[in-house]
Amino acid sequence: MAPQEMDVQRALELLHMSVFSQSVSPCGKYLAAGNSYGEIGIFSLSAALSAEAKEESKKPVVCFTAHNGPVYALTSTDRQLLSASDGELKAWNWAEIVKKGCKEAWSRRPPYRSSLEVPEINSLQLNLKDNSLLLAGGDCTVHAMDLETGVFTECSRPQYGKWIRCLATDSDWMVCGGGPALTLWHLRSVTPTTVFPLAPAQHHAMFYQDLILCAGQGPTIYHLQLSGDVRAQIPCSPRALHSLCLNQRSPEHKVLTAAGSSHKIDVFTNFGYRAFSLAFA
Amino acid sequence: MHLQKEITKCLEFKSKHEEIELVSVEEFYKEAPPEISKPDITLSDPHHQTLARLDWELEQRKRLAEKYKECLTSKEKILKEIEVKKEYLSSLQPRLNSIMQASLPVQEYLFMPFDQAHKQYETARHLPPPLYVLFVQANAYGQACDKKLSVAIEGSVEEAKALYKPPEDSQDDESDSDAEEEQTTKRRRPTLGVQLDDKRKEMLKRHPLSVTIDLKCKDESVLHLTFYYLMNLNVMTVKTKVTTAVEMTTPISAGDLLSPDSLLNCLYPGDHGKKTPNPANQFQFDKVGILTLNDYVTELGHPYVWVQKLGGLHFPKDQPQHTVTADNSLSASHMEMTMKLLRTRLQSRLALHKQFASLEHGIVPVSSECQQLFPAKVVSRLVKWTAITYEDYLELSYTKDIVEAGLAEDTHLYYMALIERGTAKLQAAVVLNPGYSSMPPIFSLCLTWKGERTNNNDDNIRAMESEVSVFYKELSGPKPGYQLLTNQLQRLCVILDVYLETESHDNSVEGPKEFPQEKMCLRLVRGPSRMKPFKFNHPQGFFSHR
Repeated sequence: MAPQEMDVQRALELLHMSVFSQSVSPCGKYLAAGNSYGEIGIFSLSAALSAEAKEESKKPVVCFTAHNGPVYALTSTDRQLLSASDGELKAWNWAEIVKKGCKEAWSRRPPYRSSLEVPEINSLQLNLKDNSLLLAGGDCTVHAMDLETGVFTECSRPQYGKWIRCLATDSDWMVCGGGPALTLWHLRSVTPTTVFPLAPAQHHAMFYQDLILCAGQGPTIYHLQLSGDVRAQIPCSPRALHSLCLNQRSPEHKVLTAAGSSHKIDVFTNFGYRAFSLAFA
Repeated sequence: MHLQKEITKCLEFKSKHEEIELVSVEEFYKEAPPEISKPDITLSDPHHQTLARLDWELEQRKRLAEKYKECLTSKEKILKEIEVKKEYLSSLQPRLNSIMQASLPVQEYLFMPFDQAHKQYETARHLPPPLYVLFVQANAYGQACDKKLSVAIEGSVEEAKALYKPPEDSQDDESDSDAEEEQTTKRRRPTLGVQLDDKRKEMLKRHPLSVTIDLKCKDESVLHLTFYYLMNLNVMTVKTKVTTAVEMTTPISAGDLLSPDSLLNCLYPGDHGKKTPNPANQFQFDKVGILTLNDYVTELGHPYVWVQKLGGLHFPKDQPQHTVTADNSLSASHMEMTMKLLRTRLQSRLALHKQFASLEHGIVPVSSECQQLFPAKVVSRLVKWTAITYEDYLELSYTKDIVEAGLAEDTHLYYMALIERGTAKLQAAVVLNPGYSSMPPIFSLCLTWKGERTNNNDDNIRAMESEVSVFYKELSGPKPGYQLLTNQLQRLCVILDVYLETESHDNSVEGPKEFPQEKMCLRLVRGPSRMKPFKFNHPQGFFSHR
């Protein structure tokens, strides 16, 4: 392909790219983002947040193709980055990931019933207490994988009609949403206390200090109070947001990053407004 | 007294013989035969010696006289021979000419037009250097690689010859014009304007000779290119014309496809031909008030950069050089690529022309090799296909990010397609890059069905756009890929079907689903963005996700 054709092809890909997942490195200096083409891009937060940041610092330090399908979920242990896609789970060492030509440390496939349609893995959760990883995906089951041995066990089979997209807990409280409206549950009594008045489906919710941050189908991040009031609506560049990530691991680089239906990732230093955007190139 | 006089006379008598230069004595004895020299007598007797010498002289002179006569006659003979030969030769030339004439039909029969080529080379000697380079290189390329390329020179040779004669009455003209300027001020303004106009015309003057190259394609259509040289600006321009094998009726939307103005736009990326490629021209333009060469393009032709390269002219960017001369190797290195691109351009435009004719009637032409890309039953139909202007395209709300990404410029062509099924209407705005089909057309969609959905508010619409714009390689069809556009349109119809049929039913609204699901899909929604299954699998015939 001529260089001109390559440029046009990549430009079109960037226009139609969605970033589904993000994860911060153990040191807190790097952000990994997975997109709809199966690529993982590693961005240097320290370079992008520094005073001499240029346009180049907002591009990925390294970008490699991790999976054949979109990278739906990313999570980090203290040494590895775990990425999940169409029925496939791969692990990458953070120490080597910044160098080019990084290879996965291992890769696993959870056992699926049918081979015709390989379900996607939508979400990964680390359970540090017993060193296991929970995978939830399109086959409506939750698998648990032991990180030491790599053995999968099927946990539960919730047969929900309406899909649950996001879930977050904070000791007494749980907030979940997706098809149904975003609702706050009181865990002890297992009753819904507040239903939030947000029209679009919410894709991601998290507790932060005394607020609930959530984002979904529209181009805004909502700051909600536990009482049900919408405290703020922050506009973002992607049209729909799939993932919010808060960097708790490094106090100098404490930022909120939001990614979704765009090749740009918004970075918020003060959660009230967008500071700048990182972008895949 | 008398006797004394006689004696002095005698003494003073000089015989004629003393005036004759005689050979020296030694030579005489050497050369003269003994009968004459009689050495025994003459050696002692000077009188006899002199006599003998005189005899010898006489002898020699007689011999020489003989020789002289002989030489004269032989010279006459030789002269006569020369005359004869000259006549012979001069009568040969017309005979040769008549043979050449007689052999012309044979030359044509054997396709070896030597005579014609000879005449062309004669005329070519009067071409300016860049046109000469173009002529030579194009001829060479045509003979070596491309039998369907023909080169010719047109224009007036007399005018070309006249260019090199100094104008004799320019001096008088100048004094006249000076006199005119001293007249009343009222006359000055129109005079100045007319002078400026004349100066402009002078600056933009073309050389009277031009080179034409005809490229014939497999389907008998021909691309005619005429190359001109602007003498004062040192740039070359080209005018194009297309003749097709069959008379074609032009569909309304295809108006711009083959227009000579835009046919060769961006043959190489970014080569729009709107600016003069020679940076030195800017200074010349400023003197006579020409803003840009673009204003004169319709009469002068387009100054594309590839045209300059074919003429061997290379202008380093933004650095005016004093003299840029025509370089043969530059022309040769670009010739093959440019000819190939020209042919591809013509062919792709002709293919599009035919496709548009069909699209305007609401039929998406899908060739038999491409049938496998689509399911057998497609319900959504193309209802309208029109050309729109660049300004219209910019005004649409759903095309903003394509424009921002720099993928839609004023050198591109813009169209609007309308696909319908039931109450659902899908508008597709299409950007056609002049470099079709190596550069894909880009689609922006807006679906009007129970509200307006674009990539702004519906991720699935965004996915539909990427199905046709990003994954276009699957739709290229057989080489050279001119069916890309029609395949993209067909795919749009198919995925609109999928979208409408897989839309989950809203139980709160009464009535049956407008579009019952007929397509076979493994799963209806997948992934965090709830994607619909747009990928068609052949030959099983079901839809899945990417």
